[in-house]
Formats: sequence, C-alpha cells, structure tokens
Amino acid sequence: MMSDRHAAKQLKTLASLFLALGLAACAGPRETYVVLPDAGGQAGALTVTPKAGKPLQLSGAYANAQGGAEGAQAGKLSEQEIKAAFAEAMSARPEAPQRFTLYFLEGRDELTADSKKEMDKVLAEVRRRPAPDVIVVGHTDRVGSLADNDRLALRRAERLRSDLLKQGLPGDSVQAAGRGEREPLVATADEVAEPRNRRVEMLVR
Amino acid sequence: MQDGKPEGEIILNKSYFRLAAGLGGAVLLCTAASAFAQAAVWVGQIKVSRGIVVLERGGQKLPGMVGVRLKENDVILTEANGSAGLMFNDNSTLSLGPNAEVVLERYAYDSTTYLGAFDAFVKRGAVSIEAGNLANAQPEAVRVKTPQAELKGQARSFAVNVEGK
Repeated sequence: MMSDRHAAKQLKTLASLFLALGLAACAGPRETYVVLPDAGGQAGALTVTPKAGKPLQLSGAYANAQGGAEGAQAGKLSEQEIKAAFAEAMSARPEAPQRFTLYFLEGRDELTADSKKEMDKVLAEVRRRPAPDVIVVGHTDRVGSLADNDRLALRRAERLRSDLLKQGLPGDSVQAAGRGEREPLVATADEVAEPRNRRVEMLVR
Repeated sequence: MQDGKPEGEIILNKSYFRLAAGLGGAVLLCTAASAFAQAAVWVGQIKVSRGIVVLERGGQKLPGMVGVRLKENDVILTEANGSAGLMFNDNSTLSLGPNAEVVLERYAYDSTTYLGAFDAFVKRGAVSIEAGNLANAQPEAVRVKTPQAELKGQARSFAVNVEGK
C-alpha cells in the first residue's frame, strides 16, 4: 500500500517537473548583456536589473550575462563570440565627432591667418561626412566685461555658423552658442590678453 | 539719507525690488525653458543607414535614411538586411544590427550643464550603446531597458542582444 507521504512526494516531484517544463516553455526571448571597452579602451561597470531575480554587476571589458524571464546570470561568452554577435551593430556605429579649435584676432570676430586655413579643414571634414551637423561654441579671453565677452563669444560663433551655412549646410544642422570668458583654455587672471582663449571650438559630427 | 526718506521705507523698497527681481527671474527662466524645449525638438540624427531601416513616428512608417532627424518616442526598426547608427545631441550613440527594434522612450539634454536623461527600450535585436556628455554629468543618465531587464552604470559602452520571436 502506498503511504500518504509517498504519494505526496510523487505529486511534489510531478509538480516541480511541470513547473520546470512550464518555465522553460514561457522563458521567452533570451537576452545577452555585455560591457564593451569605450573609445579610450576603458570599461566601467554595468548593473543589470532583471524583472525577476537579483541584480547583477558586470565589471570590465567583455563581462557578460544572459537573461530571460527567470532572471539573469553571469555569462561565459568570449571576446571573439561577443565581437561576432555584435559585429553588424558595432560596424553601424556613427563615426566619432571631430573637434577643431579656431583662433580670433583680439576683440574681433575675425579669424587669425592660420585659423582661416584651419577653416578649410573644417569644411573638408563637413563635406566628407554623409549627414554632417556642427556644434559651434565661441569663447573670449578675460579682457573686458563679462557681458561684453558673452556678446563677443556669440558673435564669433555666429560668424563661423554663417560661413558654414554659406557652404550649403542647412540651418538646423549648425548650432551656435557663446560661453564668453567662462571656459578659458588657459587659466589667466582677469583682464589678461591671452590669444589661446580667443577661440571657437567646433565639433563636426 | 540724501532724499530724506525714512530708513524703513528704503528697506521696504529694497525687499520689494528683491521680490520683483525674483519674479522677473522666474518669468525669464520659464521663457528660457520653453525656448529650450522648442530648440530641442530634435534629439538626434540617423548617421548610418544600411539596407532597410524604418522610422516609426506617431503610427506612421517613414524611411530611415541617413540624415533623418530623430524625436522622443520615435521607433527605429531594421530589416534582416538592415543596420543603423544614431547620434544624439550629447554625442551618445546607439547602433542597431539586423532585425532590431528600439524605442527612444525619453531624451532630455541641457547642452550647458550636460544634465538630462536618455532611456531606450530595446525590444529585439543586437544593439550597442556609447554614452556621451550625459554620462559626464551623471554616469547613470543613459539607461537601456529590454523586455526582461534594465541596464545602467558607469560603463560608457555596452551592448544588448534580445533574441527575436
């Protein structure tokens, strides 16, 4: 005769078997999470918080985890496997922006002779990119008042913006802003003339 | 006192001016905020588009060509032969391999303070992310959600793959 305890045990086993099968069936899509090295070769930590189960911390380049409806657990993918799995996504990454710094004559919105030549490089970079947009930020040295320098910085940025628009860039592809004397490239005391601070920084993206 | 007014009145006047200046400042702030909101309608741009890439906006499907501007709540889809690379205002990038679908759930960025937030929902496909200026101000400002998890952290560069159904 089968004892009650034995029957209960069998039922329990059967139940957990069904549960396991059920979970496997409704596990849904599998997910992979990976930390990649950044442009400078550094890799930080990433916290994966699954809807079910405990959060997981991934640290360092190519650290990875797999997840599903049951939660996430550390993965064992190699660098090669990761590069293969994400090859197409990674090859579609937009090119990194290129930064240019152009210098101005004292108190004016006119480029120095050298920087006029540098502007040709900016235009070449703009033409080389399939869908260019440019961020233009003007700066001044610390000669003059804060308000005057805000105006001068913006005028410098606007001047280069209009040069870019003349080359055929649409208006909404060039943003100009002025930072006045707030962000000097070279720190100086107030009222010090510093040619390296009379500049516009351009980010071609 | 040059104008012979009692001090009390001057103090009152001063505090009145302070209040007025405060109110004026608040009005200016509001104006600046709405101007910023208008200027920041576009949150990014499609910089790379290969094969068939579709942009879904407000239920409409548009071709996801190179140069197309992106808005909050846009959905980017790639077909089996497609891949796409997006760049956002803070220089963050997100790129999609084939058979992928990503919702740009939230994007806010202040180019002066670098403050803001970027939430992308990766519904399916292989996607790689590189955080830009947003992460300079707050390392966890760039977040990715998937059907089963949420990812954030100090890592500037990471990737997610959600197997399609």
